[in-house]
Amino acid sequence: MVEVELINITKIYGKVKAAYKVNLHVKEGELFTLLGPSGCGKTTILRIIAGFEVPDEGRVLIGGKDVTDLPPYRRGTSMVFQNYALWPHMTVFENVAYGLRVRGVPKTELKRRVKEVLEMVKLEGLENRYPHQLSGGQQQRVALARALVVQPHVLLLDEPLSNLDAKLRIEMREELKRLQKALGITTIYVTHDQEEAMVLSDRIAVMNQGEILQVGTPRDIYERPVNFFVATFIGRSSVIECKVKRIIKDNLIEVAWKGGVLKGIFTSSNQVKVGDNVFCILRPEEIDINKESDDVNELIGTIEWMAYVGTRAEVRVKVKGGEEILVSLDPDMELKLGQELKIYIPVSDTIIVSP
Amino acid sequence: MASLLRILKREFDPLTITQLSSSLIFFCLFLIAPIISILSSAFIRYSEFSLYWFSELLGDPEYLSLTPRGGYFFELHGDVMYIWGYDYGIILNSLIVAIVVALACSVIGIIAALIITRYTFPFKNFFKVAILVPMLATPFVNAYVLGRLFSPRAGVINLLLHDILHILPWRVDINGLVGIALAQILSYYPIVYLNIMASMTNIDPSMEEQAENLGARGFRLFRTVTFPLSLPGLAAGATVVFIFSMEDLGAPIGFIGYSANPLAKKVISYQIFSSFMEAVAGGISSETAALAVILLMISLAGFMLVKRYVSLKFYAMLSRGGRWKPRVRKLSIKGLAIVYLFLAFLITLASMPQLGVVVLAFSDWAKENYPTSFTLEYASRLVTDPNVVRAISNSIIYSVAAVIIAVLIGSSAAYVVARSRIPGVEALDLLATMPIAVPGIVIAVGYFLFFSYNFKNTLLDPLVEPMILLILAYSVRRMPFLARSVFAGLQQIHIALEEASLNLGAGKGYTFSRIVVPLLAANLLGGSLLTFVYSMSEVSTSVTLGALREDRGPITFYISQVIYGTAAVGTVSVAASLCVLLMTIQIVSMALSNYILRQRVAFLGV
Repeated sequence: MVEVELINITKIYGKVKAAYKVNLHVKEGELFTLLGPSGCGKTTILRIIAGFEVPDEGRVLIGGKDVTDLPPYRRGTSMVFQNYALWPHMTVFENVAYGLRVRGVPKTELKRRVKEVLEMVKLEGLENRYPHQLSGGQQQRVALARALVVQPHVLLLDEPLSNLDAKLRIEMREELKRLQKALGITTIYVTHDQEEAMVLSDRIAVMNQGEILQVGTPRDIYERPVNFFVATFIGRSSVIECKVKRIIKDNLIEVAWKGGVLKGIFTSSNQVKVGDNVFCILRPEEIDINKESDDVNELIGTIEWMAYVGTRAEVRVKVKGGEEILVSLDPDMELKLGQELKIYIPVSDTIIVSP
Repeated sequence: MASLLRILKREFDPLTITQLSSSLIFFCLFLIAPIISILSSAFIRYSEFSLYWFSELLGDPEYLSLTPRGGYFFELHGDVMYIWGYDYGIILNSLIVAIVVALACSVIGIIAALIITRYTFPFKNFFKVAILVPMLATPFVNAYVLGRLFSPRAGVINLLLHDILHILPWRVDINGLVGIALAQILSYYPIVYLNIMASMTNIDPSMEEQAENLGARGFRLFRTVTFPLSLPGLAAGATVVFIFSMEDLGAPIGFIGYSANPLAKKVISYQIFSSFMEAVAGGISSETAALAVILLMISLAGFMLVKRYVSLKFYAMLSRGGRWKPRVRKLSIKGLAIVYLFLAFLITLASMPQLGVVVLAFSDWAKENYPTSFTLEYASRLVTDPNVVRAISNSIIYSVAAVIIAVLIGSSAAYVVARSRIPGVEALDLLATMPIAVPGIVIAVGYFLFFSYNFKNTLLDPLVEPMILLILAYSVRRMPFLARSVFAGLQQIHIALEEASLNLGAGKGYTFSRIVVPLLAANLLGGSLLTFVYSMSEVSTSVTLGALREDRGPITFYISQVIYGTAAVGTVSVAASLCVLLMTIQIVSMALSNYILRQRVAFLGV
């Protein structure tokens, strides 16, 4: 178990910045996720750590050792590929045993370790099957077993669940988390699925256009996004363009927009001053139609659109000032289209970020 | 810059260094250096650069004449209609023949491919196979057979169409340049057909469906959607046919062997061949080298024109043909009649040489005007006549050795091209595909000039030992098959399969042998079979380099000697029997690659 450090990693393909001055510090035993839209450079970073790509600039340290110029086979990282990359001409056993054979592990020990790891991923009895005889979920477990059996320092997972159906994906991500915690192996996980990232990760790095925008726990990132991109990429929200009107104290500020004024918490790391353009981010599940306290922002509007989604009712309220605010409510409430509605957002849940 | 160094440092692992350097050395020594030898012989006079030999050639009406210097083109003398073609000088003759052949093959190929890919009709599978019969190799003898069939006095065609059916008012004599063109059209149209078919099966059916949906049908649909999308296949196929026609020796020698027709000699390839034969003792003249340079330039120009279609990368696309199941239509009664008429005419005409070869091999046709009795006398000579047996065993040894070299070099080159990120590695792609565009006769001249001079009295000297050079020539000439097949296979292997191995601690060499080679097995076997088959029937270098020591001559050399009329022993029927053997080997290999390997890779014939 080791830590992984990226120092000033830059990789540019033509005009596309796949990674730009990326600095990361993944702690021992942590499940760390690189999250971002497709094409943001997260897979490139993973491949730089694995040694498949050479960075234009910067260094990669694994366990404090500079591995930037080491070939993939000398890095002690195990990767699970998005498409699993199981060798079609080898059985499950041969696929899993491959890494041990390369390392010259004696036969009896090899057999024992393959058996152990297959038990761990619940694939006992399938040793002699070929990859095409397995279901998608089973293939994914073989890929995981093959990566784990060599006891890597670092486990790298490149969107491992993206080829599974929705139900299996949820099952597998729980299992993955359980396994990772049991083995305590430092793991770097790449995904574009923000829910998956929230459920699995100890910490998340949100990326866009080759740059790391924010690193933090799932809660930090959700509640304290540092900018507009992070705030809107993670979770659902309604956005209101505003100007800073008054800085009350610390992060508590007052902003003005077409429909009036709002108070909220400024979560970006830069300094703001009166008159700056900012965005107000409202999470649908933080909005209520009952006034629970005095420390709230109040908006009045009419119901433009409603949908019943099982446990909740989704309601779009067009408020004075023209914005449509998405609200998630108790489905049992008697609401009608066109009905006038007052909505309340606690000041502590009103997020204000820089563009 | 720093990152370039980093990449280079990483890319140059032992496997890459071995593969890259061995394929580069191979191509430099056995492809580039011989060509440079020809160039220096043609361009250097009295140790100075000079265009003397070219101006000599181009100024000589024997080589280039804008007015016809004789020949017959639909001229009636007595009761015989002579169709030989006009002589515009050797260089222009070759060009005209090649262009006519490429155009005719394109027209036939487009029609045939359209019928086969877009329509369904009874006995379609029979026609699908029959249409490819001309791909069966019957070097020299096919043209000889055509000559016999069209012979004005004793030809079966004239007997049938003039004497018996009275369809023709006169007897026809197709020979000379027209004869060469006809023989080439009949044997090369499947190349265009297969290429277009690959393109057509690669067209997403929804493209055509969308056009139909918008109201296009029939010829408009073909003209606006199907045809433009098949152009890559047409361009590649037509160019390959053009180059094949330019370098072909089989048809000229076949017609010369049959009738000593003077016009059949007036093509570039035959001229180089005959000066090669004459000049063996005294070396090859600069004039011949200049003629070889002209032939090379014309072929290369054609190749560069469609380079982007015939590169290794394109081959990969071709072999994936048939991902979609194109919608096939039923034909109306009228349409059916037209299709049957077209196919029956084409197949009858095109398979005549092959059928004739079989008849020649197993009957007394060689002695009589028309075959009268069946005999195994000539076929049995394949195992009893020591000269024939030696030719067969020579061919097998050369071809097997050529396959081994082609597998090693071709797969190395294809792997480096497909996987390495070393800048400039595309040049290797060019080297591996270029042999398509280098006429065999040019390679023969180049080898003679380069090796007999620089490696005098060694085993690489063709005057001492042509065997090694023949093997190398075969492997170079057939390299594109192997490289193409391997490259196509590599395209199918997701790179993550190799990365997973590297990631688990295996080096590049281990990964190559344990992951890449097993996954490529089918492609390697398929490519090897093709290389073997085409080496067995290789003509140009076999009849030139192979002629330098009679005991080293392969099958095609033996056949050419018989047809050319200089062989001490043997008759035309033994040559035909050898052709039957070649066809059998080809059919067996095709069956192997189709049924055992389940490969959809078509015999593209390049």
